[in-house]
Amino acid sequence: MVFVVLRRLGVFATTVVVASVVTFLMLSILPGNAARIALGVQASEADVAAQATAMGLDRPAIVRYLDWFGHVLIGDFGTSTVSRQAIGPEITDALGITVILVLTSVVLALLFAIPFGILTAVRQRKPDGAILSGISQIGVAVPGFLAGMLLVTVFAVTLRWLPAGGWVDPGEDFGGFLEHLILPAIALGSVQGAVLSRYVRSSVLEVMREDFIRTARAKGLGAGPALFRHGLRNAAVPVMTVLGLQIATLLVGAVVIERVFSIPGLGSLLLDKVALRDLPAVQGIVLVLVVFVLALNFLVDLAFTLVDPRLRSAA
Amino acid sequence: MSTPTLSVSDLRVGSPFNELLHGISFDIAAGERVGLIGESGSGKSLTATSVMGLLPETLAASGTIRLNGVEADLLTAGERRLNSLRGNTMAMVFQEPMTALNPLMRVGAQVAEIMTVHRTEKGRRQARDRAVELLAQVKLPNPAEAALAFPHQLSGGQRQRVMLAMAMANDPQLLLCDEPTTALDVTVQAEVLKLIGNLVTDRGTALLLITHDIAVVAEVCQRVLVMYEGDIVEDGPVGRVLTAPQHPYTQKLIAASDLSSVDDRGRLHTMSMPVISTPRAAASSPRPVAADAAAAPILPPHRAAHQRLEQGGPPVVFNEVAGVPAISVRDVSRQYRRRGGGLFAPAPIVHGLREVSFDVGEGQRFGIVGESGSGKSTLMRILCALDQPSAGTVDVLGQSIAGASERQLRDFRSQVQIVFQDPMGSLDPRMRVRDIVAEPLRNVSRADALARVEAQLNAVGLDADVMHRHPHQFSGGQRQRISIARALITRPRVLVADEAVSALDVSVRAQVLNLLADLVDEYQLTLVFVSHDLGVIRHLCDTVAVISDGRIVECGPTASVYDRPLHPYTRQLVSATPSMRDLARRAAN
Repeated sequence: MVFVVLRRLGVFATTVVVASVVTFLMLSILPGNAARIALGVQASEADVAAQATAMGLDRPAIVRYLDWFGHVLIGDFGTSTVSRQAIGPEITDALGITVILVLTSVVLALLFAIPFGILTAVRQRKPDGAILSGISQIGVAVPGFLAGMLLVTVFAVTLRWLPAGGWVDPGEDFGGFLEHLILPAIALGSVQGAVLSRYVRSSVLEVMREDFIRTARAKGLGAGPALFRHGLRNAAVPVMTVLGLQIATLLVGAVVIERVFSIPGLGSLLLDKVALRDLPAVQGIVLVLVVFVLALNFLVDLAFTLVDPRLRSAA
Repeated sequence: MSTPTLSVSDLRVGSPFNELLHGISFDIAAGERVGLIGESGSGKSLTATSVMGLLPETLAASGTIRLNGVEADLLTAGERRLNSLRGNTMAMVFQEPMTALNPLMRVGAQVAEIMTVHRTEKGRRQARDRAVELLAQVKLPNPAEAALAFPHQLSGGQRQRVMLAMAMANDPQLLLCDEPTTALDVTVQAEVLKLIGNLVTDRGTALLLITHDIAVVAEVCQRVLVMYEGDIVEDGPVGRVLTAPQHPYTQKLIAASDLSSVDDRGRLHTMSMPVISTPRAAASSPRPVAADAAAAPILPPHRAAHQRLEQGGPPVVFNEVAGVPAISVRDVSRQYRRRGGGLFAPAPIVHGLREVSFDVGEGQRFGIVGESGSGKSTLMRILCALDQPSAGTVDVLGQSIAGASERQLRDFRSQVQIVFQDPMGSLDPRMRVRDIVAEPLRNVSRADALARVEAQLNAVGLDADVMHRHPHQFSGGQRQRISIARALITRPRVLVADEAVSALDVSVRAQVLNLLADLVDEYQLTLVFVSHDLGVIRHLCDTVAVISDGRIVECGPTASVYDRPLHPYTRQLVSATPSMRDLARRAAN
């Protein structure tokens, strides 16, 4: 068990390093000179050259990479070419907001998907099951930003129950924080919830046909207890796979949702920095996003080993 | 006579469009052991699931099922009432021990659950202790440890013991077993059957044992019911049914199951043939082998080879053939690196084959028999160049195939063809039969190919108009015929069959075996037949190699190996698969 965790951790660390190299290379091969971008098109060649030396751009790529990644590891993301301030604190603040938003929406999505998926599976042959199943199909088809705008129109503009956008730090005003969190989290989670409920449904249907469910029935368990005691954990395994895959989609969704609700998260920060062509900041944010996805997938992998004993010794 | 434990009368099961059970009736007395045999689709599993009240939602049942002193009629009982009976008064063991246990739950907890559900033990702790006791009763080694194991950590036989412990936990009055040993190796099957017999006899449990295998019934049961297309066609004591079957279907079924009884041409009795039972004398060889003997190999005295093996002398070459053998295997080993191990410790090595050496002469019918994990499939894959040995050489038809590239093997591929076990899984469901059969042909015009496909399908006993259909439209036996047609279309010289009849019903099995025997004669093939089934190999092969734990432990002429086995493992194997005549004799006593 310990070895399995250590091995997964090793895979995680290796992937992070590879991701950092790819991020670095992608931004290096973009056309344009970071020094000229920083100074603007009016600057003279001499100024650009001096700026390049100051930014360390005249060094070989491998040295620049090691210098950058080495500093990133100790939390130093370098200096913004626009604001001339350290990028690190900005990223950390935005990351905190995005993490809260994404995790809340994952929890909401699961809270919706699990009971709804089970219900549609169990009621499969009944008319209400078919109707519920149709509703989740619609949910899959609605994009997150549209759901967001609809929610704002109904709950913020018409009913005036909740704010239309913005962000409040939980340390400052927890009630205000929740008010600002709820709509974007629902908007972001609704699509995931609908997609996941489809997978929960098919997974539960699959499990209900398994031999061991029949064994459980033969032991004298009713259909419901057999499903709950023996089926759900088995049904969880494929659903977790999908959840892991969905996390990247969720982050992309967060970039859009943060715009719709003007939340100062990583997505907003990334779009701002891209608009300003602040390359060191963009590089740092992209890496953080990648590591975030990898970390969540690592956690999903660990959860797998906890749920499925077959993976503890074999993998 | 007192009230029977189980009384089924006029049981009909079906969907609105199709009746599957046509009003069957039978009783099982307390403590009586009854077998229910029939082929797939005959309705035997439906009978058991009807008794348990676990029919699929789409099927409805009518008639009456009475369980002694417990319920007037199971078919009309409510779900709550049925739940209290299932696992308590009546219990069931299913076929697949692999999938019938929850993979995510420790087996001890699964056994304990059946007692907590019915509150037959006071608390969780008592139920767990009792579960360990039960695991000991079904003779699981280290029951306390085994209780903490997950199903994947146990072997197939051990898992089936767990299922039995579970079923017997609440001392049911009726035990239903649906093909309990079908997925198990023969030696394990014998142990599990013995265990079932002992458990029900000790406790006076009534038993309904469902199986397609007449030998299993003869081993355990006193009485047998024969099912055919949703009807019980015969009901009588095992000894009488085996020796003097009344119904024509039973007569044919028993004749087709009997691999030692052949007609004048040395072919098995099939269901469509009129049956005249002519058990051949024990000493006579199964088929005329004079032609083979003349063609070449002077077999070395295999007894001498066996002796050398036991003394730990130099590696033995089994069945050594003078001249050029069709297949020559020397010192072949195959090791696998198992996944896992520690972070730094090397992964453990698994020995699939250990220094195996043998020849197969041109025109020989060479059987390879072994249980799961013995290495027989690995050997089969290496002979077909689907896998490479870790060490040693393999020559087939004079060509060295160990380490050869796919380009070098092109000729080999058309000379050596394979028939696989699962006739469904080995045919591409999206291809038409004509394309499946024509696929191995190269550089042949479309018209030519079609003509050859047609001829080949005729040769395996299929009409030409099946060409345009897809595999799912055929029965298992027909699909296996298609596989054989595909294998033979390139006119191979060597045919390798991997458990080619294991998935088939006995009647179909006899037909396919006869077909194989005919085709081997007609095309003068060298046959390598890999199987776990000793009876099949005895019928079809002139030479047999017994493989265990990656080694050939015995090899020689089939009759000699079976009648006078030398190695203890062969002896165990042979005694675990009694012939029909042994069974009849035993049942009569």
